[in-house]
Amino acid sequence: MLRSQRIEALYALLFLAPFLIHLGIFFVFAFVRTVGFSFTDATLIGQSSRFVGFANFVELFREPRFLAALTHSISFMLVVTTLQTFLALALAAVLNQRLRGITFFRTVYYIPSVLSSAAVTVIAIWFFQKTGFLNTFIGYIGSLSPVLLTFGVLFVLAQAVQVGLERWRGLPVPWLDPALATISLVVALALTWGLVGLGVVRPLEARPPEFTWLTNPDRFLGVPIPLWSIVILNTFTTIPTLMLIFLAGLQDIPKSLYEAASIDGATPLQQFFSVTVPMLRPVTFLVITLSLIGTLQMFDQVALMGDAAPLDSIIVLAYYVYNNVFSGEGKVGLASAAALILAGLTFAIVLLQRALGISEKAH
Amino acid sequence: MKKILVTLALAVLGLASAQTVVKLQGFGGNDTAIMSSLVREIVNPALEKEGIRAEYQGIEGDYRAALLNALSAGTAADLFYVDIFWSEPLFASGRVEPLNKYFTPQELAVFNRNLLNAFTLRGNVYGLPKDFNTLAVQFNKDLFDEAKVPYPNQTDTWDTFKDKLKRVQAAIKDVAGLCVVADHARFGAFAHATGWRPFNAQGRTVLDANFRRAFEWYTSLVKDGAGKYAQDLGEGWTGGCFGAEKAAVAIEGAWIGGFLRDKAPNMRYGTTLIPLDPVTKQRGNFIFTVSWSMNAASRNKEAAAKVLRALTSPEAQNWILSRGLALPSRSALANSPIFQRPGKENELNRVVFQGSTSVGGAVLPFKFGALDGGNWMRPINEALQAVITGKKTVDQAIADAQAELNRIVR
Repeated sequence: MLRSQRIEALYALLFLAPFLIHLGIFFVFAFVRTVGFSFTDATLIGQSSRFVGFANFVELFREPRFLAALTHSISFMLVVTTLQTFLALALAAVLNQRLRGITFFRTVYYIPSVLSSAAVTVIAIWFFQKTGFLNTFIGYIGSLSPVLLTFGVLFVLAQAVQVGLERWRGLPVPWLDPALATISLVVALALTWGLVGLGVVRPLEARPPEFTWLTNPDRFLGVPIPLWSIVILNTFTTIPTLMLIFLAGLQDIPKSLYEAASIDGATPLQQFFSVTVPMLRPVTFLVITLSLIGTLQMFDQVALMGDAAPLDSIIVLAYYVYNNVFSGEGKVGLASAAALILAGLTFAIVLLQRALGISEKAH
Repeated sequence: MKKILVTLALAVLGLASAQTVVKLQGFGGNDTAIMSSLVREIVNPALEKEGIRAEYQGIEGDYRAALLNALSAGTAADLFYVDIFWSEPLFASGRVEPLNKYFTPQELAVFNRNLLNAFTLRGNVYGLPKDFNTLAVQFNKDLFDEAKVPYPNQTDTWDTFKDKLKRVQAAIKDVAGLCVVADHARFGAFAHATGWRPFNAQGRTVLDANFRRAFEWYTSLVKDGAGKYAQDLGEGWTGGCFGAEKAAVAIEGAWIGGFLRDKAPNMRYGTTLIPLDPVTKQRGNFIFTVSWSMNAASRNKEAAAKVLRALTSPEAQNWILSRGLALPSRSALANSPIFQRPGKENELNRVVFQGSTSVGGAVLPFKFGALDGGNWMRPINEALQAVITGKKTVDQAIADAQAELNRIVR
């Protein structure tokens, strides 16, 4: 090797050193230690430990709580990844429109991502309480149902009358003509207000539902209700980040494709499915991969829920690992085995999605 | 020349280390302020001549996780709090120094026998009780007056107590009798009164007919209109509801005094003993306590023992007691005139102290054998929650809890 080449290599190593040291300590060292611990019966407070082979792994699959955590983690991953990918794409498509003040809406929709997870979870605990905002709000909407129903019926009537009149005059107006809809809206609002004022239509007594979100051991679609609360919470907080990635992807699609499509007579819906979706494939791959990893490793929201919900109905793998180390005598060996299973699962699922799911290349 | 230099260097080092620093670790929050003052005003002046200085470090957040972590990493303080709730696995691990070497039996005998026993394992004393607490009933006098219901008193049985709560809840809108929590740390006191014990002679947990009787009464409070489920009112403990006047009574220890001083300084409240089981005519209670324990890996054990002696000295405990901060673990202080002073907080402290004596009935330490308390209690807490929220019948909930406990208690 030439002297200059050697010096260059040395410089490269020097620049890489901070990252390599960090990686070495917090990843390689930690990972090797975890693998080592997983074959022993080490505890946090014990003085010595023995090699136990695969006993920890065998014990894990006999333990109901671990199996619960495993199924919760997998169902959480499937539900949340699906929900947030579709919703983030829809939101990004809407926010990609050229409208006045669109930056304001982009900012507003991004805010949930900026909030700290701890603050959002604490607020969510109040939100989901039996007498919390969600149930009170549902009760309020329920009590207003006669008013809302009157408004809806009046609106449909006003619109039907107007469109009927226009068509009778021979004008081809669509059923949801915006100009006529605005007039119908004003008319319906005024009439409803009048009827409520006259006491003809009256709101019912507010009766919030008795449904409990956090302390409910029941299941919906095989997933405990408290975990559904975390699904809602997690989807809400992670959509904005994914939306931002989609938005960046959308702006990369050449305008000429849309122009060509519209010349060929494609409707906006056809354009979305035949141009936008295929062109976004590399971005969708990234979003789904990030989402799979993120949901499998979700920990904070379960930890912060704490005693607000029964542990067995919200436990996921990452929390199972933590809980085993920091309760009882601190089963480090068992927890390490569970951590390795979580790592293996994450790896396998990402590989599987790469092989069978959405590919990296645009068509 | 070399020799002189080495001697000089040693001398300088010697001067620098003339003062031995003993590190103390405990809860954060209020404890940081209290313990730092105690160390500054009582402990350090007493040990100044011996060249020992104590330093208190409060840990915010999950104290137990922090302590276990520090112990296994070898960075724990010389003396630290150990909560009785998770003490036994820690004592059995060998990470805590037995204190018999440093204290004579006479020195140990001055502590409340029950408390000291709670920190004794296989004949070794692993910690000196710092202070303690039991449960008592606190009642809001204004709410009871408004509802024209007599105050709870120490002759109340479960039935008369529940009846009073029902009458208050019926009379005043938006006020519950009691905020019911799904927590063995409260319910357990009633279960003890029936004669039920967490572990039978064979060391197993059996949820028998006595347990069931207490369980049925406790869970019926919500159903029969004597209380509301705390979480439905957005509170996590009975004291939270009480302080916000959402409930007429609370079942808490002396710690509620400091909370009410901040939250509801003008509330007129009284304190009485836990009601009696109508069948056994007994009461039950828990002893909650925290010890000062010594790190087995400490390098200053002799100095730490001296600090420990100063921390639990009569002067130190009097200092704490006279400020109404905690109850003393030394038996002699039971007759302290401070307990007889008038005022709602002194009454609270007096009744909570009485809870640990024979008046308190079946009083058990808040620990569950060699098991982690949290793991042992979880099935019972979830059974309570399931019945209170109407998700399970009493039979089903107890059967499920028993099955889970059979798995845990082996």
